[in-house]
Amino acid sequence: MIKAILIFNNHGKPRLSKFYQPYSEDTQQQIIRETFHLVSKRDENVCNFLEGGLLIGGSDNKLIYRHYATLYFVFCVDSSESELGILDLIQVFVETLDKCFENVCELDLIFHVDKVHNILAEMVMGGMVLETNMNEIVTQIDAQNKLEKSEVRMENAIIKEGSQHDDNLRMICSFHCLSFSITL
Amino acid sequence: KSKEAEIKRINKELANIRSKFKGDKALDGYSKKKYVCKLLFIFLLGHDIDFGHMEAVNLLSSNKYTEKQIGYLFISVLVNSNSELIRLINNAIKNDLASRNPTFMCLALHCIANVGSREMGEAFAADIPRILVAGDSMDSVKQSAALCLLRLYKASPDLVPMGEWTARVVHLLNDQHMGVVTAAVSLITCLCKKNPDDFKTCISLAVSRLSRIVSSASTDLQDYTYYFVPAPWLSVKLLRLLQSYPPPEDAAVKGRLVECLETVLNKAQEPPKSKKVQHSNAKNAILFETISLIIHYDSEPNLLVRACNQLGQFLQHRETNLRYLALESMCTLASSEFSHEAVKTHIDTVINALKTERDVSVRQRAADLLYAMCDRSNAKQIVSEMLRYLETADYAIREEIVLKVAILAEKYAVDYSWYVDTILNLIRIAGDYVSEEVWYRVLQIVTNRDDVQGYAAKTVFEALQAPACHENMVKVGGYILGEFGNLIAGDPRSSPPVQFSLLHSKFHLCSVATRALLLSTYIKFINLFPETKATIQGVLRAGSQLRNADVELQQRAVEYLTLSSVASTDVLATVLEEMPPFPERESSILAKLKRKKGPGAASALDDGRRDPSSNDINGGVEPTPSTVSTPSPSADLLGLRAAPPPAAPPASAGAGNLLVDVFDGPAAQPSLGPTPEEAFLSELEPPAPESPMALLADPVPAAEPGADWHPGHPAPLPLPPRFVCKNNGVLFENQLLQIGVKSEFRQNLGRMYLFYGNKTSVQFQNFSPTVVHPGDLQTHILSGLGQPPTKRVAAQVDGGAQVQQVLNIECLRDFLTPPLLSVRFRYGGAPQALTLKLPVTINKFFQPTEMAAQDFFQRWKQLSLPQQEAQKIFKANHPMDAEVTKAKLLGFGSALLDNVDPNPENFVGAGIIQTKALQVGCLLRLEPNAQAQMYRLTLRTSKEPVSRHLCELLAQQF
Repeated sequence: MIKAILIFNNHGKPRLSKFYQPYSEDTQQQIIRETFHLVSKRDENVCNFLEGGLLIGGSDNKLIYRHYATLYFVFCVDSSESELGILDLIQVFVETLDKCFENVCELDLIFHVDKVHNILAEMVMGGMVLETNMNEIVTQIDAQNKLEKSEVRMENAIIKEGSQHDDNLRMICSFHCLSFSITL
Repeated sequence: KSKEAEIKRINKELANIRSKFKGDKALDGYSKKKYVCKLLFIFLLGHDIDFGHMEAVNLLSSNKYTEKQIGYLFISVLVNSNSELIRLINNAIKNDLASRNPTFMCLALHCIANVGSREMGEAFAADIPRILVAGDSMDSVKQSAALCLLRLYKASPDLVPMGEWTARVVHLLNDQHMGVVTAAVSLITCLCKKNPDDFKTCISLAVSRLSRIVSSASTDLQDYTYYFVPAPWLSVKLLRLLQSYPPPEDAAVKGRLVECLETVLNKAQEPPKSKKVQHSNAKNAILFETISLIIHYDSEPNLLVRACNQLGQFLQHRETNLRYLALESMCTLASSEFSHEAVKTHIDTVINALKTERDVSVRQRAADLLYAMCDRSNAKQIVSEMLRYLETADYAIREEIVLKVAILAEKYAVDYSWYVDTILNLIRIAGDYVSEEVWYRVLQIVTNRDDVQGYAAKTVFEALQAPACHENMVKVGGYILGEFGNLIAGDPRSSPPVQFSLLHSKFHLCSVATRALLLSTYIKFINLFPETKATIQGVLRAGSQLRNADVELQQRAVEYLTLSSVASTDVLATVLEEMPPFPERESSILAKLKRKKGPGAASALDDGRRDPSSNDINGGVEPTPSTVSTPSPSADLLGLRAAPPPAAPPASAGAGNLLVDVFDGPAAQPSLGPTPEEAFLSELEPPAPESPMALLADPVPAAEPGADWHPGHPAPLPLPPRFVCKNNGVLFENQLLQIGVKSEFRQNLGRMYLFYGNKTSVQFQNFSPTVVHPGDLQTHILSGLGQPPTKRVAAQVDGGAQVQQVLNIECLRDFLTPPLLSVRFRYGGAPQALTLKLPVTINKFFQPTEMAAQDFFQRWKQLSLPQQEAQKIFKANHPMDAEVTKAKLLGFGSALLDNVDPNPENFVGAGIIQTKALQVGCLLRLEPNAQAQMYRLTLRTSKEPVSRHLCELLAQQF
């Protein structure tokens, strides 16, 4: 089972966290920090697996991660998952993000928190792999987008309100945006 | 931007959102979504969100997809198990599940799976199986329902009712849609762990599904082909599912499966269809899972060897991931008897990995594998490599490596000098990481094995000569020299004063605990080497000791100083006697490793070793001959926890009083679980003075119920011969129970403490140990749990607990058969019974008698009737060592008379057997013949049966 999925950047700023086991909010933050600490000190070109930190459950759990340009994608799994399988799942996740956002970058993860969660939800549910077929996932997401657009259009027809882009979020955190390319 | 600025900015934003939510103006869908997303992001950054929940519930109750989706998202990220809220959410979920709109149903199912609380389980556990197997459910809904059910089952298995739907779930394995099959396999894998029989039919379905995937061309499965590999995830899941079961019984199914496995192994050798790393990853994910299944079945030698060869290739692969996984899989493979040898052939590669891998994760796996593949044939090589690795190992794993080296060194030691060397090297290389368990253990082993004591003393003496040595080395050195320094005192380079000044040179650099230990060593030196007495007293008397700020050190200095000046040599010799052997139990080191690694990690290593040759070494200390002083043949490793405490040395009543006067200390109430150090020290504590009259005054209890000896009992186990000369040790041990014994005898009376240790984690019920005496020995029982000795042994013994029973024994007249101890109890409902002989033999009532040569010969002549003499000529079973022989004869009970026999090689002893009815004088003579490796033993006593019996008892000892 997948215990948690974490994405953070090279500075340890979390960009997505999803826990499939109940942890208190404090513990969640500590797990993110601990995981960043474990993963970030590793060289490039070493293996993609390591024993989990204490907070997440110790050495019975494995961290399986990939590093793409500015972002780390880390899956914390127990012994019932295949390591290479999860590694491929990360790849599918990133490729799917790339398809949905067209050259995904760190900013997309910040401005479209909901989308990223929706994509993840199509792949992993309650800690188990739900779907691995990228086309199937993309189809689902497209369908959702269509549904959304049609609703928004209806709404806009009723209330004529210009939906100006909100740039408050942009100021919440400082970051330098680097598009991270995916090695396909 | 600074941290404060960020917090300020966020608080402002939170206030803004809160006012928007509370505001009178209704928010449109887009704004709601915008604000909820902001909250999610703020939460992600680690700030508490204490509002918005109600808005989220409103959103998810909306009919608009956009709002519903964002509401569910908020809930599944932010809600853990806020019960108030969940009731509200449940209502909305119920509506969505009933809506027949697949999108809404999926959202609801996702929410249940993500929150997974018990309340949700109670509300929906019955509905979801229905949705899962309904004929009209969409594929995506089925998929989600399967995983949702799985999540609820994991969270609260009792809530998910098994029923007729289970059979239909199994048939989902035949579903057209691969996503549904993948989800169903996950569900079945979990459900079948509890009810394997209900889901047994999944085996053949899984095999045929697997076979179709494996044999298909890479394009057949279209979207489920990932970088030219057909359905890798589903294959992996199917292989995992099959690992829940033993090999298929049906020959056709099994044949098909073996074919699949072979195909996978064959494909591994084909050239890759793509250069992309994803292709090889997916392919190898299946391959590793296949190998796991082969290892799990552990029944196809052919496949096992192929698996091993495949892993061998990976060990040298340029992909680090593959090397890592290969090392990991090989670890489990090493425990299979078919492939253990094959794994061993890779030893050089693995050692090389340990030396050259850049990645600590991989090195760690290599160290694990070396540990797993170790057996007696390669132990020396592996241990020396691990020692070398230790010098450069990452700090994080040093302690673990130290434990592993210590365990391997002990387990596979053929000669114990190697073991001692290894542990001392450990201390030298990584002293900081050598935990107490490790150095306690080496002391236990040295104490229990007299063949290694001299070597150990010599080696620690040499090690201590290094200008800087680790404190643990000082501890080990201090203890060993205090016990066995006499064995090397003959050499002028390590004469007593040299030993003392060497130890004392380290004294000032050590911590309080170590200094305390050294003080005990010094007092032991006074006994071992009277010539050092003046120097040591000088040290003890120094102001820095007598007025030390540390209470423990001060007390020891004062007490030892007084002891050394007040007590006579005899009393000193008794009080400071050599430590008795430790009872054998499971190694505390192994226990520690298990704790460190968590359950499961060490178990592979425990039962992993299946080669029969290792059993005897597991049996610890038996293989070399001179093991008379080693208590137990059963367990390889000592435990400290529940071991019977070492005996307080039996001192005469007079000496006891004297000591109590000197110390005014607490009566020696033996504490449970002494560490060697404590034991070493508690030995110095005064024994409680005991009046022999108290023993006599014990009332004879009425016949114990169930004490009758009836034929339903198992035959009594023979008394281990070592107990003839020893009063303490482990009398019996199996997987459930350990019985330790500690006894003392005076004149015709004896007191025996029996310690029953429950080695399991389950309570023993109706526990009743009783003593039966078929012969003329009257034994009466006073059994008690601790003090006072009027209570009986409790009828229940908790898991891991130890209870004590006290037996008082009086010898009325001479006897041949020892009394029997019969122990009955129920373990997990099953009655257990065992009978063993108690270590009470006639020689226990020996009273040593000193006499001059003249007297001896006079008496010898007086006992010249042929029936008064018993003689035996026998071959030596153990090395003929004069010191050991002496110890045994003293343990036997007689006095040893020097300068009696004209031949100094011979031993002569005398004593009186005390019984209530009569006294039997005994004289004995033992003539060793080192060339022929033979002994001649002659006993003369005033009673014929006593002569013969003593002769037989004593003859087994050499």
